[in-house]
Amino acid sequence: MTHFKTLGLTAALMLGTSGYALAESHAMTLEGGQATNMVLLPKFLGILVFDQANEGAQEAHAELANPGALLFVGPTPENSVAGQIEIMTTAATQGQGAVMLSNNAGDQIAPAAEAAQAAGVRVVTWDSPIPSGAGEDVFVAQVDFGSIGVVMADMAHSILGGAGEMAVLSATPDAANQNAWIAAMQETLASDPKYADISLVDIVYGDDQAEVSYNRALALVDSHPALGLIMAPTTVGIQAAAKAMQDEGMCDQVKTSGLGLPSEMVSYTMNGCAPEFALWDFRDLGYLTYYTAYGLATGQLTGEIGETFVAGRMGAFTIEEDPGRPGQKRILMGPFTVYTSANVEAAAQ
Amino acid sequence: MTILKPLLGWEGFLLAVLIAIIAANAALSPQFLTLSNQINLFQLSIEKIIVALVMTFVIINAEIDLSVASMMGLSACAFGWFFQQGVDPVAAIGLCLLIGVAGGAFNGWFIARVGLPSLVVTLATLIGFRGLARVLVEDRGVSGFPQWFGDLGQKGLIGPVPFALIAFAVLFVALFVLLQRTGFGRKTYVIGTNRDVADYAGIDTGRHKMIIFMMSGLVSAFAGLLFAARVGAVRGDVAQGFELDVITMVLLGGVSIFGGAGSLMGTLLAILIVLNLRNGMALVNITGHIQTGVVGLLLIGSVLVPRINLSALRRRPQKEAT
Repeated sequence: MTHFKTLGLTAALMLGTSGYALAESHAMTLEGGQATNMVLLPKFLGILVFDQANEGAQEAHAELANPGALLFVGPTPENSVAGQIEIMTTAATQGQGAVMLSNNAGDQIAPAAEAAQAAGVRVVTWDSPIPSGAGEDVFVAQVDFGSIGVVMADMAHSILGGAGEMAVLSATPDAANQNAWIAAMQETLASDPKYADISLVDIVYGDDQAEVSYNRALALVDSHPALGLIMAPTTVGIQAAAKAMQDEGMCDQVKTSGLGLPSEMVSYTMNGCAPEFALWDFRDLGYLTYYTAYGLATGQLTGEIGETFVAGRMGAFTIEEDPGRPGQKRILMGPFTVYTSANVEAAAQ
Repeated sequence: MTILKPLLGWEGFLLAVLIAIIAANAALSPQFLTLSNQINLFQLSIEKIIVALVMTFVIINAEIDLSVASMMGLSACAFGWFFQQGVDPVAAIGLCLLIGVAGGAFNGWFIARVGLPSLVVTLATLIGFRGLARVLVEDRGVSGFPQWFGDLGQKGLIGPVPFALIAFAVLFVALFVLLQRTGFGRKTYVIGTNRDVADYAGIDTGRHKMIIFMMSGLVSAFAGLLFAARVGAVRGDVAQGFELDVITMVLLGGVSIFGGAGSLMGTLLAILIVLNLRNGMALVNITGHIQTGVVGLLLIGSVLVPRINLSALRRRPQKEAT
């Protein structure tokens, strides 16, 4: 689509329609080349997935030929709440066109985000929204949080061959995301007779720390001799569990699955310790978030429900009401990528 | 005080540094001198700098209060909890301030009456107050406070100047008079220099320390409420880690960690240096670890290096005298 960039908005609208037969009829193609300064603000710096999101945003930035600047700035982990508020406030002072926020401050960021909006900054959240939605234009959701249950249940079904014992190794007992995902998986297991022979025998928490998770995984094996699978819906837990099973030479009896990063899981997938796991692509998430924020900051998108636009190589997306947060708006990226020995090596690059 | 004294004194040195930072900021960022940025500059750290004022008393008194940030968290979470229980917000504010005084009295009693080191006592309450805060709100966020409460924290009260900034100014003047112009202030220095001598001179040093720790608790609880109003929501991790920022600002201000020396003017200058430096870096998009590193380097340069001279110069004549 890059050669359409120089065309006018109207022409681009028409071309967007013809170019994407599956898209809704009014899907618009964003016009590139308009200058707007934008800030990509992750939960904190130094985490691989946020660097990947930045790569995706930089890709979109180059593709749209935005003469403005794209900044990747974030707080340190020990100062993430105050740091995010400070960066949001500074962005308003600087007159940035948009801030793309992976929120780590709960509703505490809302007053700063509202003040930024009042100063003309568009606020697009990704990965983690503002719970109340106050101060947020739209949330770019990586996956539908409900669908994660089905994906995990299906991976369990496939790995266990339809029958066996599984246990969950989660992050912290109060992690809202993980709890929602585990609940969704339990619901799926209970509602479909296909999973009748799979029993969930335990749920333990490794606090998203490698060593704790490692020990919890070993303890699971001790307390459940017939265990066939450890399901870890966290990138820290899944890696620790796979390593524990590999170190103990137990990968033949107990497999590991869940949500993991290809670059961290590739060796365990290739040697059979973790034959299948899933995750969304953070590069794509950064890419889609950038397109959304660019459209809003340049005034090409208004951010109303029902608005449909083309996000470059990823195709058309529509702004809809967030089912998890009534009255708030989201764009659903989805779907999951399930990684196996067939595709994990390419993704790990 | 230091080898710099013949030239301009520590406070003069801080003032020179501050002017240099402000000049650099103004040159590098067109937004720096705008009124809204100048207000934001204070607002973003307002809770820390308010607590730094009372921390100046604590450290001049040759004590330390590591529990201030946990008290801020406890006060903010208690407010959230009271609010959830349906307590009238005004009454809840009063109760939170009482919690601050009680927490300070708890610290003070163990330090002044039982005679335990303040480092140990307030390290324990750093953990204890934070634990209580987490018990109160668990791992949820509490929000939805009344409009007036949020406005107080976020909107201008007199023109564009918000309540917290006015409170800071009033508190600074009041505490400045108390420390530098009253008997209470002089006792703070005397006790901080040598508690035994102060005891011998008939000063009720225990009572004095009790009062200072209660002040510290009260102001920290107040700062916690300001934080809750400014961000409009509380969680168990409110203000976590703020105590070190507060203490470094006070030490940068020239207050001796051994007690007995320092001034509120020095603390104010140090506050302005840290705030302007952070703000300037944020405006030119230096954030995260680099910002922390630059502030850290400034502190190493300005807290540690002159202090080596200071202690070397001060201790030698003292030994000769005894």
